[in-house]
Amino acid sequence: MAELRGSSGDAPQNLLTRWFGTPNLHTLDVYESKAGGYTALRKALFDMAPADITNEVKTSGLRGRGGAGFATGVKWSFINRDAPGPKYVVVNADESEPGTAKDRYILENSPHMVVEGILIAAYAVGANQAWVYIRGEYDEPRRMLVEAIDEARAKGYIGPRPMGKDYPLDIQIYRGHGAYICGEETALLESLEGKRAQPRSRPPFPAVKGAWGRPTLLNNVETLATVPTIINMGGAGYAKVGTAKNPGTRLLTVSGNVRKPGVYEVEIGKTFRHVIMELAGGPPEGRKVKVFWPGGSSAPVLPESMLDVTTDAEALAAAKSMGGSGGVIVMDDSHCVVKAAYRLLQFYAHESCGKCTPCRIGQDWAVRTYERILANEGSQIDLDILRSVSDGLQNGRSLCGLGDSGGWVIDSTLRHFRDEYEDHALRHECNVGRVMAHA
Amino acid sequence: MPALDLAQEELGHLTPEAMTEVATALELDPGYVEGVATFYSLFHLTPVGRHHFYVCTNLSCAIRGSAEIVRRFQEATGVKAPDEVTPDGLFSYEEVECLGACEYAPMMRLDQRFHYDLTPEKIDELIADRKAGRTAPPSPAATPPRERGGEPPPSPAATPPRKRRGAAPPSPAAAPPRKRGGTTRKKKADG
Repeated sequence: MAELRGSSGDAPQNLLTRWFGTPNLHTLDVYESKAGGYTALRKALFDMAPADITNEVKTSGLRGRGGAGFATGVKWSFINRDAPGPKYVVVNADESEPGTAKDRYILENSPHMVVEGILIAAYAVGANQAWVYIRGEYDEPRRMLVEAIDEARAKGYIGPRPMGKDYPLDIQIYRGHGAYICGEETALLESLEGKRAQPRSRPPFPAVKGAWGRPTLLNNVETLATVPTIINMGGAGYAKVGTAKNPGTRLLTVSGNVRKPGVYEVEIGKTFRHVIMELAGGPPEGRKVKVFWPGGSSAPVLPESMLDVTTDAEALAAAKSMGGSGGVIVMDDSHCVVKAAYRLLQFYAHESCGKCTPCRIGQDWAVRTYERILANEGSQIDLDILRSVSDGLQNGRSLCGLGDSGGWVIDSTLRHFRDEYEDHALRHECNVGRVMAHA
Repeated sequence: MPALDLAQEELGHLTPEAMTEVATALELDPGYVEGVATFYSLFHLTPVGRHHFYVCTNLSCAIRGSAEIVRRFQEATGVKAPDEVTPDGLFSYEEVECLGACEYAPMMRLDQRFHYDLTPEKIDELIADRKAGRTAPPSPAATPPRERGGEPPPSPAATPPRKRRGAAPPSPAAAPPRKRGGTTRKKKADG
């Protein structure tokens, strides 16, 4: 495996990554003997009623780490455990938000932590079958997860009687095939059923009608990997970490123009200045941070002057952004914001599934407008078009967030870097020397 | 999708015949199967090289120089566009969206593993190794990549569809033969 770039060791905030980097942590033996693995599963199966587990997660205040940040315990409680017939847990391991690599970091370092979280969640919501939908490009994480599941099955932790408890549990892996949209939960379910991944309209929500029309719990890898920690610490113990409304730690992937890019576990509530300038070592010599995406490419950008915004959802909302997937992309003053926005709109146009008209047409329209502007053929009209396309993409005009995300890129870069747009569109010049890739 | 996976592993890419065969085996409409195959970017509808470079050019990698990586690949192999394959059938590439290893940018996927901290020199090395037949196995746990590419895919005439119980033979009316390459694959916005 490549050299570890990110958190490990016994710093107080490393609730998840404490043992990362330990040789052979990915094996069941080391995970159990060294990292105290599967104690939470044992406790959940034998010392707790399913409803207690859900309550413990509710008390912890854990919010989904995939992007939307919904309260995990509340989501679990939406599943009617007593409804007859099969129920499923589906794990979203289709990490593909640009700038995000934390699920890969977890899967490559400690796949058993994810397996343990899945088993606890399945038991809590009354499911016997879990599916892990993992992106097709994650070859190594998939192999490691397959091995972990095989080991757990051989040891009797997965099977008809896990640890001797009369409650069958099974986990299957399903490989994705390259579609960003599958990170969206209902598109993921369509894909899991073997169809084109186009989001469903909601309601009904997956908790009522999910995979194959059955009640389904969908959680992100990091969310489930946090569950064993919550069971071990107790919900109240976990809630003491982080901020009151957004407890715990989360894994932030810091990439771009920083000296030490990596996946850093951070107590929620720390500032981005701490994350970017201290943990990731700040921009290269002689350069300044110009702009950063605080939560993946979909999170509205923040300029350097807002480095002191904190990493909790409330502070980010007040700054008109969001915590998203925790992918912190940093760009220094040698790069042009308009070209970066163009690259991201290319991405959203490419990944739009084509179901909803505003997203399908709007993203493409935006790309063509950027092309005109960057070819020095722009004018005030193009800036007005960007404004109106951005509005058309947002505010729930599409079934899922992909439409909004493209709109947020345009909207936030225009808001904070209006002068760069005007340089390009009105004066046909770029005041930033370096030309970025493909722009 | 697992069935399409098998077909692609065997042929290197999904031919119209392969998609029809998958549809027949699963008792699905060929149009439905093609719809699925054209949706996902990991299904190849045109031939790719034995060593297909999936180079990430999304923001985190772009900021750290992925354009230079693509350029060096093009110079070193003579392949100019994502649809081209070198005459020896060894190399092709595409620019892909974020592969989720941003702390190692610029990076790419090649031969079922990720390659990190790319430089033009590393690209030269990777190409030279593959030309010489030196490729490290992805990892001890990995299944060896199957040999693929090179020869043209078998035509339906050469390999008659195996008999399957209960499966109707593919009817020409349901699946009109299509020109290879003339697919409705989504255009790569960055291609």
